[in-house]
Amino acid sequence: MKTENPVIEISHLVRKFGRSDAVNDLSLRVDAGRCYGFFGRNGAGKTTTIKCLLNLLQPTSGTVRVFGLEPRGNEVEVKSRLAYVPDQVAFYPWMTVRETLDYLASFRQRWNRTTEKELLGQFRLDAGKKATALSKGQKTQLALIGAVCAEPDLLILDEPTSGLDPIVRREFIQTVIGAYQDAGAGQRTVFVSTHLITEFEGLIDEFTIIDNGKEALTLEADDARSRFRKIRARFAGTPPAIDFVAARNIKRDGRELEITVNGDAEMVLNRIKSMGPESLSMEGLTLEEIFVATLQ
Amino acid sequence: MTVSTVTMLIQLNFKSGKPAYLQVVDQFKSAAASGALRPGEPLPSIRPLAEQLRLNRNTVAKAYAELESQGIIETVAGKGCFVTENNSPFKKAVRQKMLSDDIDAAIVQAHHLQVNEKDFLELVTQRLGFFRQKSESNANNHNQKDKP
Repeated sequence: MKTENPVIEISHLVRKFGRSDAVNDLSLRVDAGRCYGFFGRNGAGKTTTIKCLLNLLQPTSGTVRVFGLEPRGNEVEVKSRLAYVPDQVAFYPWMTVRETLDYLASFRQRWNRTTEKELLGQFRLDAGKKATALSKGQKTQLALIGAVCAEPDLLILDEPTSGLDPIVRREFIQTVIGAYQDAGAGQRTVFVSTHLITEFEGLIDEFTIIDNGKEALTLEADDARSRFRKIRARFAGTPPAIDFVAARNIKRDGRELEITVNGDAEMVLNRIKSMGPESLSMEGLTLEEIFVATLQ
Repeated sequence: MTVSTVTMLIQLNFKSGKPAYLQVVDQFKSAAASGALRPGEPLPSIRPLAEQLRLNRNTVAKAYAELESQGIIETVAGKGCFVTENNSPFKKAVRQKMLSDDIDAAIVQAHHLQVNEKDFLELVTQRLGFFRQKSESNANNHNQKDKP
């Protein structure tokens, strides 16, 4: 479902800090209506990339386009159509929840009061409470309300659920699916950077794994889950040597052999079967396991 | 059928290697075949089901579209989706061809798992019995509930 006009298009992005490369030749594109996962370890370059999308940082080289526009020089056009929730949210300490939302709404062309009321109730947020008196979870919820009520075409989330309790994390994701995604007739786009991959597993259509500023893997989530397999075999003696191209992360422990396969799992399975194992099994991998297998 | 009942029927497994929308389709079909979902029964709308399963809204929409194209459910304008009265839109020959493909896949799998023909056929009979039993017990439950 590739469209002519991607919502995000990053092309050979490089961003240096002094002599070190935070992002080094990264390219990716996100089409409208998709939920795109941006996975990487701490310090892989996720936040630097997102800051380039938001014109908070300038690329050292390469280009970044959002809605077909360069964020630099088109800041108002770009930012009026997107909302951003960072991992550390901060509000003006003298404002209440109500005042904070009114302040955020004053920058927006659209503001959905019905959604605002619904979400305030759902999160049990007291509108009269000062923003400084909120817990970390409540601050994130407030930031999410501020993002969703503006009904943006693009929602950028940078490690949104790290440091939150499981209930708040669950509600956060349900809000992204329900209040945000459902209203846009399949055209609402999400770009989420996270290392808590399991929680977002059901939401992700496509993803890029970034490692040391470089793309390590880009795949559709369904394709990734059908390509990667873990094969386990036990032999009567020491397992024979494995030298297939498709096999990676080969682990041996006594008589046990465990192989992660990217691609032709049937072929690898048949080859191992021909080696006469005592037992043989194969299972799929979750996106988190694929992430770990890719970076190992 | 409420959202919480449906989310109990549907268990997603991201280690199965099967696309999430197909898991939703197959589990609805299984629920309809075993009588856990009865003809005429309403399905939850897309948003609450997607929220509860924590599944992309578009994935649930795709699953419903697939169920509708297979004639398992139908959409009534303004009222939502309902389980159909077991009327497949396909001709008998087409239905049998579709089933043959699935049976072939099971036969291939049986070969790889070294399950012989006799055991395979026994297993088929046993599984048919399992669904028949489940269907009967679901029917009994429904009848008890329907009594005043």
